[in-house]
Amino acid sequence: MTTAPLRPPLVRRSDRFIAGVCSGLAAHLGWPVRNVRVGMILACLAGGAGVVFYGWLWIMVPTADEHARRQARRPASPIAPAVSQEPSHAFARGGVQGGVPGGIHGVPIPEPGMPLPGMPPPGMPGAGAFRDGPGDPAYAAPGDFGGTTPAAARPPWFQFRDMRYGKEILLGVGLLLVAGILIAQILGVDVPLGTLIPAAAVLGGASIAWMQLDETRRAGLVDKTKANQAGGWARLAAGLALVVAGVLVMVSGSGSWEQTWLALLASVAVLGGVVLVLLPWALKFWRDLEAERAGRIRETERAEIAAHLHDSVLQTLALIQRRASNEHDVVRLARAQERELRGWLFADPGKDAGQLSDRIKAVAAEVEDLLGNAVEVVSVGDTAVTEGHEALIQAGREAMLNASRHGGGTVSVYLEVSGGRAEIFIKDRGPGFEPQHVPEDRLGVRESIIGRMNRHGGTATITSTAEGTEVRLGYPAVPQADKASQSTEGKP
Amino acid sequence: MNTTQGPGTGPVRPATTVRVVIVDDHAIFRSGLKADLDPSIQVVGEAATVEQAIAVIAQERPEVVLLDVHLPGGLGGGGREVIAGSAALLSTTRFLALSVSDAAEDVVAVIRAGARGYVTKTISGKEITDAVYRVAGGDAVFSPRLAGFVLDAFGTAPADIADDELDKLSARELEVMRLIARGYSYKEVAKELFISIKTVETHVSAVLRKLQLSSRHELTKWAAERRLL
Repeated sequence: MTTAPLRPPLVRRSDRFIAGVCSGLAAHLGWPVRNVRVGMILACLAGGAGVVFYGWLWIMVPTADEHARRQARRPASPIAPAVSQEPSHAFARGGVQGGVPGGIHGVPIPEPGMPLPGMPPPGMPGAGAFRDGPGDPAYAAPGDFGGTTPAAARPPWFQFRDMRYGKEILLGVGLLLVAGILIAQILGVDVPLGTLIPAAAVLGGASIAWMQLDETRRAGLVDKTKANQAGGWARLAAGLALVVAGVLVMVSGSGSWEQTWLALLASVAVLGGVVLVLLPWALKFWRDLEAERAGRIRETERAEIAAHLHDSVLQTLALIQRRASNEHDVVRLARAQERELRGWLFADPGKDAGQLSDRIKAVAAEVEDLLGNAVEVVSVGDTAVTEGHEALIQAGREAMLNASRHGGGTVSVYLEVSGGRAEIFIKDRGPGFEPQHVPEDRLGVRESIIGRMNRHGGTATITSTAEGTEVRLGYPAVPQADKASQSTEGKP
Repeated sequence: MNTTQGPGTGPVRPATTVRVVIVDDHAIFRSGLKADLDPSIQVVGEAATVEQAIAVIAQERPEVVLLDVHLPGGLGGGGREVIAGSAALLSTTRFLALSVSDAAEDVVAVIRAGARGYVTKTISGKEITDAVYRVAGGDAVFSPRLAGFVLDAFGTAPADIADDELDKLSARELEVMRLIARGYSYKEVAKELFISIKTVETHVSAVLRKLQLSSRHELTKWAAERRLL
């Protein structure tokens, strides 16, 4: 799993006619999709071999989402963040997968809650016959995390959206077929309705039941809400009813209602008897399966946590033991590990990544790693990072470096975003300095902080006393943002 | 983590010693904390679980309880449950929450339960001594991070006259919170705003009261999103 596959992984893709097998196969083999589809159809005509092959792939091959999800289960592993030269990666978890050692990491962790293939539990969520939920961020996210999933395998969402009308298209095709048959009958063509209708019913019922295979696979991923379960049951029942009715009509052949009713009664009675006998056994089996699944989920979670701790905390502890004589290194390692662990434990899952506060925290972490002094970031409000904010971030970084270097203690950073206006305060408790006495050739403050902010339409002021220095950086709201926000703070 | 206390800005210390109970499930941390505290602070009891804590607090009636947010035992409520279980003593015993957690839900939950302040466990011995005295004196202890949570929860726009006074911070309280979030000590806040330290303490206590009592829509929503209610 740690070696990059030479070709895209075999997954079922979202640009599909039936289940995405052909397009996935095409992507995997590097062949044109059309050729694969034509080949499959030809194979179907060859005694139904294609049908069997297709069905087999349908069952065995995961969808792209599932695949990405499975890849994403593995925790990122910033080993000993303080000594690695990429301090920001603690915040880009999952982005960098290189340099992962063996051990627990080599083991692919099974998807929790994924039912065994070919064994659909009765409670099946899902609304449409085709996949829905492109707007759900939970679906988009795993694609970004799966380090080994190539960009090409990620489904473009607009295609997804097109396929949302699949149900309507199917219905339309069905109605057209019916209309065609009716017209043919009117024109006097002898259509064997007696066999056609039951056959269609059987096909329709079977396909409804089979479409659930996809939903079933998703059952473990989506939380099982009542509505979804009810939908699943309804579809199962509808599929069953259609198939049974179709088979009955076909078997009874004649199409006489009396006979059909009798047969129906008899078969329902037989089914009822079978259910009565098998129900306790099935229930027990179902309960065992559930227990086993719950156990497996717990085990997976434990393995995940163990893997994370192994790669982060244990490694850092080992490093700390080896460097116990160097107090500076020990503190730095402990700080970096603390930061990483906090990010893992307390990250707010509801928050968008890549916001301004994340960038500032990443910069603070970088400065902390570089100089060893703690940099505490408190942030209020947040905004997406625009081009202008880059100057703010860079100026903030420079100010943090100065504060850490000359202040010599903990650096306090406060970021406030209010109505689009961003302000950063960087405070240290060093001996302070006179801004106007800074030599002309020292560009750190003059250019990297004040000059940079002014060039980008922001502000920068520096107050320094014997008790410490505070740098205040301000960047105005983007023009279209509302003006009232500007008045929330009288400061620069 | 630094707190609001800068060098030499501790509150006025009373002549008598302060009696303290330490509640934390890690024995190593308890003994370390005991060693770090100023000799003028007398540790009269220790507890490692919710039940022990409630019993020891009821028996010793300390002035200040240093309370870990996460504790085993009880109904799983941790520090919050200890405060709830000692509700009868809240007028004489003050709680100062200690935590390694930065999670807003942990911090705000224990403050809303009645704690007078919150500090992180990496705080230095001098800082925690100052914080104990401050809490013993009836004041609130706000770290920059807690101030940040408050600003997040109440918003950064000042109150209008029409607003329910519990639901928003006044312009002055906002200024104080902002400065604390920026890492200012109470003394520095007083100097910056040209007010006395006592006034700063009054503002901070008022904010604490609002945080504990407000039923403001945004705050409850904010709390509900984080499952604090």
